[in-house]
Amino acid sequence: MADPILVVDDIVVSFDTTEGPIAAVDHVTFDVRPGEFLSVIGPSGCGKSTVFNVIGGLLSHSHGIVSVSGEAINGPHKSIGMVFQEESTFPWRTVIDNVAFPLELNGLPRRERNERAKHFIAMVGLAGFENRYPGELSGGMRQRVSLARTLASEPKILLMDEPFAALDEQTRLLLGDKVLQIQQQLHQTTLLITHNITEAVQMSDRILVMTYRPGRVKRIVEIHLPRPRSSDIVSSDAFGHYVAEVWSDLREEASRGMEDAERHALGTAGEAS
Amino acid sequence: MAATGQLTRKAAGVPFDPVTMLRVAIVAATLIVWEALSRSGWFYRDVIPSLWSIAKAVYALLTQGTFYFDLGVTAAEIGAALLIGGGLGLVAGILLGGSRFLSQAYETYLYYLGPTPKIIFFPVMIMWFGVGPESKVALGALSCFFPVALSVAAGMRQIDKVLIRVGRSFRARPWQMIVKIYLPAMRHPIVNGIRLGFGVALIGTLLAETKLSNMGIGFRIINAYSTFDIPRMYAMLIVLFVLAIAVNALIGRLGGLGAVKR
Repeated sequence: MADPILVVDDIVVSFDTTEGPIAAVDHVTFDVRPGEFLSVIGPSGCGKSTVFNVIGGLLSHSHGIVSVSGEAINGPHKSIGMVFQEESTFPWRTVIDNVAFPLELNGLPRRERNERAKHFIAMVGLAGFENRYPGELSGGMRQRVSLARTLASEPKILLMDEPFAALDEQTRLLLGDKVLQIQQQLHQTTLLITHNITEAVQMSDRILVMTYRPGRVKRIVEIHLPRPRSSDIVSSDAFGHYVAEVWSDLREEASRGMEDAERHALGTAGEAS
Repeated sequence: MAATGQLTRKAAGVPFDPVTMLRVAIVAATLIVWEALSRSGWFYRDVIPSLWSIAKAVYALLTQGTFYFDLGVTAAEIGAALLIGGGLGLVAGILLGGSRFLSQAYETYLYYLGPTPKIIFFPVMIMWFGVGPESKVALGALSCFFPVALSVAAGMRQIDKVLIRVGRSFRARPWQMIVKIYLPAMRHPIVNGIRLGFGVALIGTLLAETKLSNMGIGFRIINAYSTFDIPRMYAMLIVLFVLAIAVNALIGRLGGLGAVKR
């Protein structure tokens, strides 16, 4: 088996709160192999977005090492491309200028970067929209612009934080197809942060289930579904089996999260009255 | 009401829609009342000059070379004031907006000094920079600094944080962050700040010219007043008014306000 391209080794992140430091991510260790699609799934508040930010180099961790191809990283790394959950296109740039942004930072001449940007715009299915502004596009299209922009930087590892969370279910399934297709076409190593089980099973080679607060690795589920895949796979028996398996792991964590949220709501309501 | 709103919006641009008609009506009414008062003989001589004499004065003004010289002096003063005061305001705004520490330390001063009428510092400016255009530029720049700095500082804090994270994730250098993310993300507050800054720079500069100077439009206006050449005074006021509107519209256009969505 090939050496892992990304190694997350014993990462600890804690935040200072009024009630003292709270560990958001607690000794998380895993790795990602070249070309692999790995999803990190967990209930809200399990620290999966924290993992995303630590790997992306946007958040510092108090313990552990993140390394890419054997090289420990410290801050944003050129081999890692991030796609954010939030709306993140630049509203003052056209689609093509948005996608060409990372190339522009690297000082590529305009003609060359536009050519490459066009390639990735076509890849996400937005050919013909090059000169539109994000404000003229739908939410799903804008998210594809963000994806194309990150792909244009040609990262070794594509890191996505719930990129479709704000979209409706149908758009989300179709976009999932698109991502899957691109990932298979480019053999793109991908790390997807999500709370959506079907999305994770549909796309992943492995799914890492995280525990609720503090975020630890609960289990890693291998998904042996045939490739190439598309959203059609959701109707197969094997798919249902995997969804049930992941849910059985996730259920306990999710209900702990829910109880915690309820207790918190009760607590604040008690303080208020 | 909604239906009427739609109607007027649709009809905008057509010469005879209700909104345009109301606008024209109030201007026409003002002109008629003005002319009636002028002819009534209730006021001393030229206090309310006839429209015709004002029109003649405007014509005389616009066909006269010296007027353009004074206009140029004032424009250059305002331009320099905007450049200096606005530039420093932009830098100060970015620093204050970018650092919670600095904003806690200094922004209160800006809020107190901002609304202070800067004309009270004019004597100081005259002592430091003399009677010529330099003291006008200094006063205009001082006026312009505050609205630009406050507007940019507020704008800096309103930048969508995810855009900054995008820039960082692509490893943009600090200079690239400023030029390619911070400044364009703040284009609306910056243009707004410059607009406000332009307004107060105009006020500061002209006020200073009327107080003590030897050239510029403000000086000519007060000069016309003191020699009781009232039609000429009104003519200059009208020309200045139109120019101020034009520049304001131009700044708005340059900022692309309304053109860019979201």
